[in-house]
Amino acid sequence: MIAALKQWSDRLLGRGDAAITVPVFDGALKSNTLIEDAAVVAELEAPQDLASDGASVFVADGLRVLRFDAGGVEAHGVEALRFERPVTALACLPGGGFAVTLDGKEVRLVGGAHDGLRFTSAAGRPLNAVNALSADTSGRLLATDGSATQPVERWKHDLMELGRSGRLLEFELAKGTGREIAARLGHAFGACRASDGGAWVCESWRHRVLRFSGDDKPDGVVVDGLPGYPSRIAPAADGGFWLSAFILRTQLVEFVLREPAFRKRMLREIEPQYWIAPALNSGNTFLEPMQGAHLKMMGIVKPWAPPRSYGLVIRLTDKGLIRYSLHSRFDGRHHGIVAAVECGGHLYMLSQGRRRLLRLSIDDAERSLGLQDATPVPEPVETLRQAQGEPSS
Amino acid sequence: MTTPILELRKATKKYAGVPAIEDVDFALLRGEIHAIVGENGAGKSTLTKVMAGVVDLTSGQMLVEGREVDPKTPNEARELGVAMVFQETSLVPTMTVAQNLFLGQERWFNRLRGIYIAAQQFMQSLQFDVDPTAVVSLLGAAKKQMVEIARAVLHNARVIIFDEPTASLTPEEKKYFFDLLYNLKARGVSVIFISHALEEALQVSDRITILRDGRHVVTDDKAKFDRARIVQAMVGRDLSQTLYGQRKTSVRPQGRRVLSVQNLRMAAMVKNNSLSVFAGQITGVFGLVGSGRTETFKVVAGVIKRDFMHGGEVLLNGRPVRYFVPASAVRDGIVYVTEDRKIEGFFETRSVADNIYLGLLAKLRGRRKLVSKGEAAAVGKRWIERLAIRAIGGDVKAIELSGGNQQKVVIAKSLVQEPELIIFDEPTRGVDVGAITEIHQLINRLADEGKAVVVISSYLPEVMALSDRILVQRMGKVVEEYSALDATEEKIMYAAIH
Repeated sequence: MIAALKQWSDRLLGRGDAAITVPVFDGALKSNTLIEDAAVVAELEAPQDLASDGASVFVADGLRVLRFDAGGVEAHGVEALRFERPVTALACLPGGGFAVTLDGKEVRLVGGAHDGLRFTSAAGRPLNAVNALSADTSGRLLATDGSATQPVERWKHDLMELGRSGRLLEFELAKGTGREIAARLGHAFGACRASDGGAWVCESWRHRVLRFSGDDKPDGVVVDGLPGYPSRIAPAADGGFWLSAFILRTQLVEFVLREPAFRKRMLREIEPQYWIAPALNSGNTFLEPMQGAHLKMMGIVKPWAPPRSYGLVIRLTDKGLIRYSLHSRFDGRHHGIVAAVECGGHLYMLSQGRRRLLRLSIDDAERSLGLQDATPVPEPVETLRQAQGEPSS
Repeated sequence: MTTPILELRKATKKYAGVPAIEDVDFALLRGEIHAIVGENGAGKSTLTKVMAGVVDLTSGQMLVEGREVDPKTPNEARELGVAMVFQETSLVPTMTVAQNLFLGQERWFNRLRGIYIAAQQFMQSLQFDVDPTAVVSLLGAAKKQMVEIARAVLHNARVIIFDEPTASLTPEEKKYFFDLLYNLKARGVSVIFISHALEEALQVSDRITILRDGRHVVTDDKAKFDRARIVQAMVGRDLSQTLYGQRKTSVRPQGRRVLSVQNLRMAAMVKNNSLSVFAGQITGVFGLVGSGRTETFKVVAGVIKRDFMHGGEVLLNGRPVRYFVPASAVRDGIVYVTEDRKIEGFFETRSVADNIYLGLLAKLRGRRKLVSKGEAAAVGKRWIERLAIRAIGGDVKAIELSGGNQQKVVIAKSLVQEPELIIFDEPTRGVDVGAITEIHQLINRLADEGKAVVVISSYLPEVMALSDRILVQRMGKVVEEYSALDATEEKIMYAAIH
């Protein structure tokens, strides 16, 4: 009763869940154009995922898996694998070989010690929208099943239906078994093994990354209140992680998500590409819904206008703190970054919005952000308490 | 040599036997701008209060145009042609600007409309953009200062004493103010100008007098001074490199997000403002007067309330919070060190120890039914020592301290609450260079300890010297963010204005 009253008053006063506010890009999330300025390695047909074995970068592109050698200049890549159905997720196995997901419904191992192993269900439920895979050295494979009701490519439907049926799964490759670590996630999209052995999973529709070490209940939140919807997460070479955010939050979309009648009618009557919803790319047609302040001023689309699509990759420390971020802003092209992996001192990013594989020198990026030239911050000589002759608590 | 318009000979003023000024000789020439500088507690305010008839001399002489005088009240001093604009405004807050301007000059019958028109014309002649019908309590600090200045000019004084006149003014307003000083000088008015901003003293004054510990150190032409010589004479040591001298070469890395302000709205002052504050960093906030800096952080600290409907969100460590009184914010670890210490910072008639102890009581959620005087004294003593508050003892009333030491009391009152997020609003306004250094060191130590620190300041060198990241606010919202490594005065000012 009290909860219902609170919900009603929040809606009336624009507070709580009905506040319709969005976190701001500041601090380490301050905008730049590093993704926009990244080198284009290849134009692709239907890119879905990215993986690296440390020497090469592999891209799931439609039915194919393409190989790009690190530092190479091939514009098309070499076809490494081909399947009968689209590949929606891809991971390199530590001992060689690949784990791929076909059409979101089947996890298949190709090459390596477990060649031919297949999973079509976990914990008694069929796989439906497996969108990310991550293998570790202990012979386990983490997978995220984004939704139990919508296939991978219909993520926008899942968002607009406020989907809460995502799962984090773990497959024991040696035993050929799978288990459910977490369920009822708001679109699980991307997982990774943390240095402490726990599993990190991105819960996209709740704009956060959760940590699981035991069963079902999360140990805690690694990072939350993100200004975007997080997608895949991959380890960085010198510790920490690369987290991509494939779409961005805006006040307009937050508003639509709190208006069920409007949303249902929009889903029923409007073509998905014209929904008031985030997109992997935008600016293709004048029929696209206009965002708040998404206006030209003096003939120029302002780069800080609320975006319908955006490119964002976040560098996290191993504790989940945001170190810095890479952007392709509203007026850019490299939007919809669904995956980012590090290989040979470069960061490779997959722009699904532009269907491009991008490459960025990490050293150059950090230098341009002033992170390498800056003198390391010295340890404080003494704290205030110590200065006053007290032991620090 | 011409007769000085105002002269003090062997001027001594003692409070309870303790000299505030001692054997000070001072001479003010006709039509000169004379800067008096010195640390807080050096005796500048006492010296000028003697001239303005606010306090009596214990011994010594005061002469106006060679004639010995002894003004007992500010009114008597004004009749002698000496008027003072006080450091902390002495306006009647419930009256309008026009009423304050003509206070003490009322006739038997006053036509309100006539007063407003006269006040409007007069304010316009000074290029001060202040509405004469506005109630003073609703004005910001800068506009109150403008009214104070206008009132002194209106009284046709031959000597006008300004005590920290520019502390609350923006750079643009300062320029107007300096033009006003030159204008007064051209009209033969002599100006005494107390300022902690040494550049201003060097810029506008003809002669400079330096006081230290209540004694006269030196008086000389401006041309014979530079910043280092002034500082050395003021404090007896060289502080010029430790204050604003050096540019930052490194910044503290960003810790976790302690505060997230999202789409905050508060009347016309804060418009859809969003920002974040991180642990272990000093976040500087710069903006012109009226940009909504103070209001944003007063909402965060529960001092004022955001819009009732659709007021946006404030998240502390990821948890939405909405405070109706500051005590709730204090209990959650947020403290706000006010820009207006005299009105909001402390109880001026209570002792230093009581004031600090009250800060602790605010944290205790009313669980302390009985107040221990012994505990209050002990807490007060500890913090007086910690922050090097220069007071004879903990039982000294806060009002009797100098500006810098009053500010330290306000800071101590906040730090005793062991906050996680500390918001300093103009932390060094009206504070001498020695105390500025100490306060800056304290702020840096708090950030080094991992606290989230916000410093709101109108003084660009201070923002740049202290901050790890700088937020620039304009027209009610943050419009730009700079790392301290990238920031320049030009960039910040451009963002604040355009």
